[in-house]
Amino acid sequence: MENFENHIERVSSAIEQWLQPDNYFLKEAIDRTVNEGMFSFPDVKHRILTLKETLRKENLERWARISGLRPGSLSGKQVLCLHAGNLPLVGIQDLLAVVLTGGTYLGKLSKKDPYLLPTLIRSFKNYQLMNDAYWSTNLEKLAGNKADAVLFAGSKKSVIKVNEKLHSLKIADPDTPRLMRTAHFSIAYIRDNKPETMEQLTDAVFRYGGAGCRSVAIVVAPFHLHSVKCTFTDYVEAFWLKNPQHQKPPESLFHRFAFNKAIGVEQAWLNVFLIEENVERPTDTFILYWMKGGLEEVENIIKKYRDGLQSVYATGDLIGEKMVDLIAEPLSEAQKPPIWWKPDGIDTIEWLQKQV
Amino acid sequence: MFQYQAEKNPVLNTFFEVFGLRPDSKVNPDEIPLLPIRAFKEMPILCEGLKPELVFKSSGTSGMERSSHQIADPNIYKISIEKEFYRHFPANQYALICHLPGYRQNPDSSLIWMAQHLVNIDPDGLNTFLPDDPDEFYKWKERVQKKGKKILLFGAAFGLLDLAEDQQVEFPETTEILETGGMKTHHREMTKSELRDTLSEGFGIKPGQIHSEYGMCELLSQMYALSGEWFTTPHWVRVTIRNSDNPSKFCNPGEEGKIGIIDLANLHSCSFILTEDRGVMNEKGDFKVLGRWHPENLRGCNFLVDQEI
Repeated sequence: MENFENHIERVSSAIEQWLQPDNYFLKEAIDRTVNEGMFSFPDVKHRILTLKETLRKENLERWARISGLRPGSLSGKQVLCLHAGNLPLVGIQDLLAVVLTGGTYLGKLSKKDPYLLPTLIRSFKNYQLMNDAYWSTNLEKLAGNKADAVLFAGSKKSVIKVNEKLHSLKIADPDTPRLMRTAHFSIAYIRDNKPETMEQLTDAVFRYGGAGCRSVAIVVAPFHLHSVKCTFTDYVEAFWLKNPQHQKPPESLFHRFAFNKAIGVEQAWLNVFLIEENVERPTDTFILYWMKGGLEEVENIIKKYRDGLQSVYATGDLIGEKMVDLIAEPLSEAQKPPIWWKPDGIDTIEWLQKQV
Repeated sequence: MFQYQAEKNPVLNTFFEVFGLRPDSKVNPDEIPLLPIRAFKEMPILCEGLKPELVFKSSGTSGMERSSHQIADPNIYKISIEKEFYRHFPANQYALICHLPGYRQNPDSSLIWMAQHLVNIDPDGLNTFLPDDPDEFYKWKERVQKKGKKILLFGAAFGLLDLAEDQQVEFPETTEILETGGMKTHHREMTKSELRDTLSEGFGIKPGQIHSEYGMCELLSQMYALSGEWFTTPHWVRVTIRNSDNPSKFCNPGEEGKIGIIDLANLHSCSFILTEDRGVMNEKGDFKVLGRWHPENLRGCNFLVDQEI
């Protein structure tokens, strides 16, 4: 078995090769992704630049140490990754977990993001890290490939459907370990409206059109929305000048705006997004809920919506503080998490090594 | 109606205004935006200058916000109840017995008010609530039979299921059932057709003798589905199925969406309502209630996976 350092070195080199500016395959994949309207160029660019930073060798080593990685621990085991496609390369961490543990990758790629991930797989193949990998955007094509574990991110509602499908396609049986992650929104607690905070908040809310589970859907602040509405919308407009909103909301959002106005809810209508001073369980992508409050309100919201909540972000000395059972993450890292971040609070490598 | 409510109802006035509609706008009824039903949970929905004579509240479980419907003119509710109920169940043919245990704890229930009204106005004095004492029930049954009327058992779905299970009282096989579909007392989930089969078996009657009522505290009109699951409307009600992503758009027959209702009986509150119920319409314009609407466009990784698997 290859030793720890060499394995990380090889993975890191493959990633480095993949991220080279002259990587024709990646460039072509980006072009196709953008040209076919799947994601905007600024979103893909942001994602690639973030990965360049987070996937450095020392970060991979750190993740490996934190998770207790044993290279080759999943040798001979097939891991099915069901990748979502709400933002570019959203499933990359699962792919890396499989490669780092030496498992065999079976991938159901998203039809909304089918080109980018295969270029990384190609790079891993060049480094003999994924010789038996098999992937498709069509789950049916993976039929009969018995998985030893399943990694999934999606809605609670789809879990039953997914399990039934995996069973009928003979990919997984009821005993196959599966990591079903269903969190879909995050909260930010800010205590001031300084430019740095507002810029970070804007990025945390509006990056990738607000579609990620790490995207902020609820803001708790010590001031009402109306007192920062103008300033905040200035930041949002500046952000959209550089990163135009790619997905457009359904018409029902305008009906919601009309309804809010009729019942007197404080709100900011941004044509493709709605900010309202009101808190509900976040389900729609294009709504940001605002609440005037402090730590107590944050904790109440966490308790109320814990099921579905991914992360809580803060600034300054609150970073690292425990809020209910969550540790506050830096607001600035909402859209550029470290590679060792734990979706739904679970380290994927650790889980794979324990369960498979 | 549009002009009156757009002018006199401040909530609707503002709501319509966002869509560029003023009280004097010339508008086709199908173009009138429907107010989401949760408005009744948020604030009083009543035309200016009127005082409520009655307030109906939805039942709602603990922690749930309750809808509140202020009624300025209870006579409209009375007329609406009588006209549509008797159209389907004429007073000279049916004796009504109401079994609404889950609702009786809610003194503001519009359903209880309706049942009580039907009891009060029965010319033969036979309409009643199901007594606790079986002997009283049998005496009542005898009176009904002497009068040559059919029994119409009216109740919330799960109360009726319990009644069938208890077998404390026996209904004749000519009994017809009118279920309201309320699932207020239990958490058991059941489709309409399963419910109909179970009731049919439990009461020993044919499925064709089971009817449904669709109503809610926010509406002063009721819809009925006779011997099946397809509801028809009174002539003063228009039901449409709306696209959940764009409630201004109608769904085609067979396509599921949110149930939209224009109820002219809601004269002094709001006649233009978008419910949170999931429904489908057939080519004839009858509609079926499929349950509650659940959001599909979930944030996060969810919706794409939902669509793809």
